Amino acid sequence: MSAVSVEFKGVSKRFGNRSVLAAVSGTLQRGRVLVVAGPNGAGKSTLLNILAGLLRPSRGEVVYRNGDAPLARTHWFEHLGMAAPDMAVYEELSALENLRFFARLRGLHLEDPTLQELLDGLGLPPREHTRTVGTYSSGMRQRVKLAQAILHEPPVLLLDEPSSNLDEAGHGVVADLVARFRELAAVAVATNDPREMTWADARIDLAL
Amino acid sequence: MRASTLLSESLAVLGKELTAELRSRVALNAVGLFGLTTLIAVAYQIGPYRIQEQDRPHLLAALLWVILFFAATSGLSRVFVKEEDAHTAKTLRLAARPLAVFAGKFLFNLILLAALYAFIVPLYCALMGYAVQGVASLALLLACGAVALSATSTMVAAIISRASGSTTLFAILSVPLVLPLLVMLIQGTRAAAGSTTIAAVLPALQGVVSLGGATLVISVYLFPVVWHD
Repeated sequence: MSAVSVEFKGVSKRFGNRSVLAAVSGTLQRGRVLVVAGPNGAGKSTLLNILAGLLRPSRGEVVYRNGDAPLARTHWFEHLGMAAPDMAVYEELSALENLRFFARLRGLHLEDPTLQELLDGLGLPPREHTRTVGTYSSGMRQRVKLAQAILHEPPVLLLDEPSSNLDEAGHGVVADLVARFRELAAVAVATNDPREMTWADARIDLAL
Repeated sequence: MRASTLLSESLAVLGKELTAELRSRVALNAVGLFGLTTLIAVAYQIGPYRIQEQDRPHLLAALLWVILFFAATSGLSRVFVKEEDAHTAKTLRLAARPLAVFAGKFLFNLILLAALYAFIVPLYCALMGYAVQGVASLALLLACGAVALSATSTMVAAIISRASGSTTLFAILSVPLVLPLLVMLIQGTRAAAGSTTIAAVLPALQGVVSLGGATLVISVYLFPVVWHD
């Protein structure tokens, strides 16, 4: 896994007349978890979307670096894994088929046992691997979303409310996942959950 | 760097579309039922005998494409709208190259159109007593028309996918783009019905291929912007 860092400076975002983010700066780097906290509507998800390159900031800049070399925006996605409440996997496909699909898109040649191991590790029982996601509970869907986010072991991992819809065991799974990726990747977690805030090596508090 | 090729990514998107469609059958049912209903209504009201002989070549060619186009419209617009509605668009944006997404969706729409043509055209010829002399010419025209229509529809579907009232918008945006194509396809079909030689449909065929080719080339440049911004 390459060491990719993300630096963002003076990032602001406006939607029409409404200012959602005002001059937010920070850095994502391997070995550190950045927690983005704040009340609903403070712009946590917007900041993560900007860091992912899914939204363009109204002001400020986001720079991805692989070592010292800046990465072109068109290559950000290759280095990025993300799970968010407004991201879903395909309901018509099973968990295994979803992972096969995303692995193929990312050029990974992963055998089914590897994918099943990943799903097992996130707490999805083996009997559910081949059922279509449309029949899953919201907690099971969240586990598949997390699996697609870490499938390619990305050097940048963005998690927006990663424990949403998960039970206590699920929260533990996410805590383990963050602990593992802290050593491997630059991690950002957007959350309101006080337990998740304890993961922070650095923290950005956004206000309304 | 990616280890996957654009082709393998495009085929992955196509495979996902086909699997999802075969399980949900939403687009297939929409296109098939719309096509069949329109065809039966036309056949019942007009049939093979209520058109004057001198009007048959013009009217039968036009009616065929009206049925095919409107049936196709009901299904082709869904390829991107369903991604936005199901919140899978963002997941796909992060995982696939824009061109692979476009190519996969374009191929899926092409297969949907081919299925529609294979279902409706023989039925139409039978119910309307439409004797086509140049079957090979018509087949070529249908194939080229499907490519052009699929390219246009896929691009328009991407543009309208994030808008509310997207189905209405699809019709509004695609009709002006598709109108010249339809005119050429109707002219070509009329020519194919009356002649066994490919030369008879060549002017229409050239127009359809040019328009389809231009749309595909423009889409290659425009789609990444539409998809990400």
